[in-house]
Amino acid sequence: MKPQDSEIFYKSLFDNMTDGLAYCRVVFDAAGYPVDFVYVRANKKFNELMGVKNAAGKKATEIIPEIHLSNPDLLEICARVALTGEPEKLETYIEPIAGWFLVSVYSPRTNFFVAMFQNISDRKQIEKKLENAKIAARNVLEDLSAEKLKAEIAQAKEEAILLSIGEGLIATDEKGDIVLINKTAEKLLDVKSEEVMGKSIDQVIPIEDERGMPVPPESRPVNMALAGRCDRCHAALGINYYYARKDKTKFPVASMVAPVILDGKVIGAIEVFRDVTREREIDKTKTEFVSIASHQLRTPLSSVSWHAEMLLTGDVGKLNKEQKKYLNEVYRGNQRMVKLVNALLNVSRLELGTFAVNPEPIDMVDLVRSVVDEQKKQINQKKITFSLVFEKNIPAISADPKLLRMVAQNLLSNAVKYTSEKGKIEFSLSLDDGKKFILLKVSDTGCGINKYQQDKIFTKFFRADNAREKDTEGTGLGLYIAKSIIDQAGGAVRFESKENIGTTFYATLPLAGMQKKEKNTAAD
Amino acid sequence: MENNKKILVVEDEISLRRALSSKLAREGFAVLEAKNGKEGLEMALSAHPDLILLDIVMPVMDGMTMLQKLREDAWGAKAKIFMLTNLSDTNKVADAIMQGSYDYLVKTDWTLEDIVDRIGKKLG
Repeated sequence: MKPQDSEIFYKSLFDNMTDGLAYCRVVFDAAGYPVDFVYVRANKKFNELMGVKNAAGKKATEIIPEIHLSNPDLLEICARVALTGEPEKLETYIEPIAGWFLVSVYSPRTNFFVAMFQNISDRKQIEKKLENAKIAARNVLEDLSAEKLKAEIAQAKEEAILLSIGEGLIATDEKGDIVLINKTAEKLLDVKSEEVMGKSIDQVIPIEDERGMPVPPESRPVNMALAGRCDRCHAALGINYYYARKDKTKFPVASMVAPVILDGKVIGAIEVFRDVTREREIDKTKTEFVSIASHQLRTPLSSVSWHAEMLLTGDVGKLNKEQKKYLNEVYRGNQRMVKLVNALLNVSRLELGTFAVNPEPIDMVDLVRSVVDEQKKQINQKKITFSLVFEKNIPAISADPKLLRMVAQNLLSNAVKYTSEKGKIEFSLSLDDGKKFILLKVSDTGCGINKYQQDKIFTKFFRADNAREKDTEGTGLGLYIAKSIIDQAGGAVRFESKENIGTTFYATLPLAGMQKKEKNTAAD
Repeated sequence: MENNKKILVVEDEISLRRALSSKLAREGFAVLEAKNGKEGLEMALSAHPDLILLDIVMPVMDGMTMLQKLREDAWGAKAKIFMLTNLSDTNKVADAIMQGSYDYLVKTDWTLEDIVDRIGKKLG
């Protein structure tokens, strides 16, 4: 290559480089400090980068004003290279032209240097984006872990609350296996969480009725909830269930069970329960009080009754019409009170279990006939069409006639009371298909029971609104007593009713009969 | 009307005792009154009434004790007795029957007329 060709080659190379290149001389101040530099030559790319036509001959401070402030490092490094001859590299952001550059500096001779500018703004931008993305990701991660921590704290709190709640708490999955049991439940049942977790509640927590018989699994509130047979299953004072511990001791329990529902599916059940021994004691005390009070009340009631009777029969002189009328009111009011006190006494006996059961062979057909005879007068007065239907060959059963009489009396007198004139009543006795029960059926065309009050009908002292209107003197105890007696006999009472159409009561009595039971206490 | 029959009323509640006595006196019975089992036992053994109306729950001596003691006596073993009480408890009835007293009336459930009727039938 000729020297001339070589020059053309280098010039072309110089001018066509994709990096900016400038050949500069350092400018010193009077004290010999580098303060600026002059572009001796600059290639096309350099001019383009700096946004000038031709940098040659110009000072750096002209091209990059305030270079002292914006890029003191650039000035310093370039001067050092020009003086020492050691090449250096730096990445710098030149603010006035808003670009990032990788600057390689070397010195061909003292006080001169060549600076090569490679625009790395794109790379820097990507780096910046990357950095931002990193920061964003880190922030998200930090947020996530903060949320997680919060959730963990919340869960721990919830668990702590559940575990330390003052009532026993057991949660099961959809199969009835225990998934959670709290401290109170462990204590009440005398079990350890690890002994029962994952096991079937039926197997590890035995439930008994008041006779000490195991409650069949389908009647256990948890299973009823799991089977979707109740929104909230109560087993409170009404149903006397007991939880049995390992050591065979037991306690009366009031429990409430709710199904756990997710997306319309039952995925488990939660049972909250407590020991109601104390409540039972208080209830018993109350019942005893009622019993004693009732006995005490009967003496003055007899006195009023007998004295009114003597006055009414004219034993102490004839009464005028008005006096007789008023005294009749006194007598009737007193009789009503006698009835109420008798019913209360029966209730307290049933509740205390002091009701003696003295079974003897009885023919239910005869018993029903005599109960109907007692009420024949009222039935005829109201011109009620009455029919008695007895299935053939109903066997005699061993039962307490006094108690069964009360049941038949209550069911029939209700039908008579709540059926209007010229209505219909049918009293029937039959055997169930399996021949295990005698079925008593009393149906009427009476006022019926309001749909909204049907679930309360066997509750002590409850009286339906329409019943109250028809008969102001009822005690609200008849059905409670009837149901208690039938329950004790091992039967069941249920009914169907439509308001203003009529009601049918069904009571079942096991053919096996009633068990003899002595009176428990000497309250009488 | 005079019927010469003597009836002993053993009842601690004065108002009930008075009601029974005045009703029975009006019906022509000669009436003796005692306010507890102890008094009742003494009167019964000395006066030998035709029939005794005997309350159960009484202070000093209750009706069941008086009945027991009465049955130990030769005359008392055959005396006609109506147990008269506030209680309608079948076990007590069973006890009374065991003691040889076959009638048992629950005060609130019986009118005076019914009681008089019942006594009339018992005494023939």
